[in-house]
Amino acid sequence: MRAFRIVIAGHGTLPAALLSTAELICGPVADIAAVGLQPTDSPDSYAASLRDAVGHDGRRVLVLCDLLGGTPFNLASAVARRSPRVVCLSGANLAMAVEAALADGDLDDELVERLLEVGRGGIVETERHRARRAS
Amino acid sequence: MSLRLVRIDDRLIHGQVVAGWLRAIGAKRIVIVDDATARDEFLREVLTLAAPEGVPVEVHDLASGTARCAELAGTPEPVIVLARSPRTMLAMRQAGVPIEVVDLGGMGAGPGRRRLHKTISMSSDEIRELRELEQLGTRVEIQIVADDRPISFRSVDSGS
Repeated sequence: MRAFRIVIAGHGTLPAALLSTAELICGPVADIAAVGLQPTDSPDSYAASLRDAVGHDGRRVLVLCDLLGGTPFNLASAVARRSPRVVCLSGANLAMAVEAALADGDLDDELVERLLEVGRGGIVETERHRARRAS
Repeated sequence: MSLRLVRIDDRLIHGQVVAGWLRAIGAKRIVIVDDATARDEFLREVLTLAAPEGVPVEVHDLASGTARCAELAGTPEPVIVLARSPRTMLAMRQAGVPIEVVDLGGMGAGPGRRRLHKTISMSSDEIRELRELEQLGTRVEIQIVADDRPISFRSVDSGS
């Protein structure tokens, strides 16, 4: 049983798509929210949506952001700096979303390291990947 | 000219800047000139986190930013300069910073601001400051993302 909430934060429809696609792979996921930055959003309105999704109940929250330096990341990293119960990652991809959704237990350093590794590990070019696998 | 992009943007560093402009112009440094941000240690830290590895972010108040931009303008290093307001750009220009073009990248709607073009709204004071910049020989253009064709400020400034 996962002991933390997940929030996927990013531009446009990407967070909702990442969430629904993760559910295609691992079935319905509980305790997860997607918050997409729309062209009509201001940083303030998006920050308010983000804070709502993070919640105010003191539980730990993993925020997966799509782009380092984007507005969703900047605002989420500010929330994380102020609130130690929130962990903010950027460069979220499907592998990371699935790994997080299926995580068991706490949002600890070990899990954060694993998410970063899973996210980076799936980024390959086939020929280079094949060469490395063969060696 | 190493001040490759001198941009007015409410959000300073965000997706359009890191994923678009940084790559498009090959900038290796971001210089923010904004008094309020320079005073706010927390905000400074958040903005420093916003750039990819290898791209330092400097946050200056107007006085130190003016000196820094004047210095960087004379080096070959490609730099992005970001500020929130036309007033900052005008003050830097008046102090002699060689700014060929000011890009209007994001000026959100708000009280006292009217919309001139897409995501570009401004107050009558800001319009006056941009006109003054043009009188000093700086071109003012609207170009939200690098792929956009720049639109001259003059063409959307109705003159009222």
